Amino acid sequence: MRLFGSHLRRLVRRPATLVTYLLLTGLILLIIVAVAAASQQVADPQSSLAARLILTFPSAWTLTLAMVVAVGGMLALTYGAAIAGAEWSWGTLKTAVARGESRARYTLAAIAGATVLAWAGTLIAYAAGIVGALASAAAVHITSATLIDAQTAGDLAGQLARTALAIAMDVSIGYAIATVARSQLAGIGAGIGLYFGEGIIGIFVPQIVKWAPFAATSAMLGGGTTAVAGAASAASSARLDPDLAVVVVVAWLVLAAGFAAVWTERADING
Amino acid sequence: MAEPNAAIVTRGLAKRYGRQVALDGLDLRVPTATVYGFLGPNGAGKTTTLRILTGLVRPDSGSVELLGRPFGRGERRVLFRVGALIEAPSFYPFLSGRENLRALAAAGGPVPRGRVDEVLDLVSLRDRAGDRVSGYSMGMRQRLGIAAALLNDPALLLLDEPANGLDPAGIVGLRETLRALAAQGRTVLVSSHILSEVEQLADVVGIIARGRLVREGPVAGLLAREGEVRLRVAPDEVATAGAALERLLGAGSVRRADDRGGVWLVARCDPARAADLNRQLAGAGVFASRIEAGATLESLFLELTGSARDGLGGA
Repeated sequence: MRLFGSHLRRLVRRPATLVTYLLLTGLILLIIVAVAAASQQVADPQSSLAARLILTFPSAWTLTLAMVVAVGGMLALTYGAAIAGAEWSWGTLKTAVARGESRARYTLAAIAGATVLAWAGTLIAYAAGIVGALASAAAVHITSATLIDAQTAGDLAGQLARTALAIAMDVSIGYAIATVARSQLAGIGAGIGLYFGEGIIGIFVPQIVKWAPFAATSAMLGGGTTAVAGAASAASSARLDPDLAVVVVVAWLVLAAGFAAVWTERADING
Repeated sequence: MAEPNAAIVTRGLAKRYGRQVALDGLDLRVPTATVYGFLGPNGAGKTTTLRILTGLVRPDSGSVELLGRPFGRGERRVLFRVGALIEAPSFYPFLSGRENLRALAAAGGPVPRGRVDEVLDLVSLRDRAGDRVSGYSMGMRQRLGIAAALLNDPALLLLDEPANGLDPAGIVGLRETLRALAAQGRTVLVSSHILSEVEQLADVVGIIARGRLVREGPVAGLLAREGEVRLRVAPDEVATAGAALERLLGAGSVRRADDRGGVWLVARCDPARAADLNRQLAGAGVFASRIEAGATLESLFLELTGSARDGLGGA
């Protein structure tokens, strides 16, 4: 707990945390403004209707969350990569190991700390998104019969739990990639490459890629939550059952965190 | 089998990086409660040794004992009693000096409350402890690195070039601190290129070259044993003088070294015997125009490591 608390304290102070929060929140608000603008398109009534649906409560609760996960998933991946890469390139992992700290424990505590901060960022962006949706709906005169109902509240609790799982997996995968790369930039680059690469490969071999981490996340959350993977798997109709997808996402989470811990445990720390 | 009175013992330590041999059977013995100067040219294997001693790198073969206990995979807890500063000090640039030490204190062995401020005082950094490390000068970062190494009140301190970036007052302060630690019964291993500094600081030195230990022992003893006396003689008297000196010191103990100043005979012997040599020459009817006695750690280092006249590259 001492190590986990220390990781949390330093991540709260880290500029990358604030930048990621601002980026995610800003992007979500921009999307909502764009959706509000699209809802006023008279030339394209179908698009206008879809946009109005996003700003209509109670469905706006789950649709906004889907948007946050789609954008936040990739940012969580790059955030995890940035945290791991910095530990290697700044030499702070080296200092901790030279003090007798367990490499695996240090790695897992760092992943846990980054995950908690990523969850917080997701919730902040989601809250901002909901406020933005309410404000935009008011601005474009979209009225909702009810703000939230029991059905939506129940769905939302389940979706939030699955979102937390997806974000944890994204952070772990980013962390594992940058642990191998031993660099923030290389880790972030490789993470983004994997994120989009998976979706592109999914167009050609959907039956294999549906088991891949981001496609499984998309299936777990009901589709369309990752930029490319969602589109690819939706196009091919190759998608895991949502409950099976939960198991697959948990497996990827454990695999990525375990891989990062084992890799760090076995590596020579030369930098 | 643990060696008594030794803080560090390595036996046959070997490490390769691809085809590059970093350590080639290093046998090191660092006595407890001493300041040990660990010397070697660039690429000799000093930093690799320190990395192995702190568990950052695993040797290909050989064994290590730290503070009387075997040290290897799964025995990291012995490092709770070891403080280390290896290569450049490493910190989170966005945290202050104090916050960095607190973050570090959460890793490894337990650190008593109040110890962070104690070590900040010790390295004279308390006034700037609240500033972000990104704004620190090189010397301040070095001080903070030394503070970090002292955080767990170590029985064994491993310092890689600790005087890097320190101003003269800082170097004097560091020397006094390290001497005081050794006087308290702690062991300090200092790897350094500043040979004059090591000569003033260390009780014992180990010199490595190409991954092997080439000399180890107390500084005074090494200088006496490996010392030399340089005698300038007339060119036509070299043979007579050389034979006379070898009769006193033994065959092969005298070599000729010419320079622009004339002809020198270099006798390998305790510098305290310079007068004996002068007397021996006089007895042979040869009079030296100049006698320079005493090796320095630097001359010994250059001779043992083959670094002399290698230019900037070293060995």
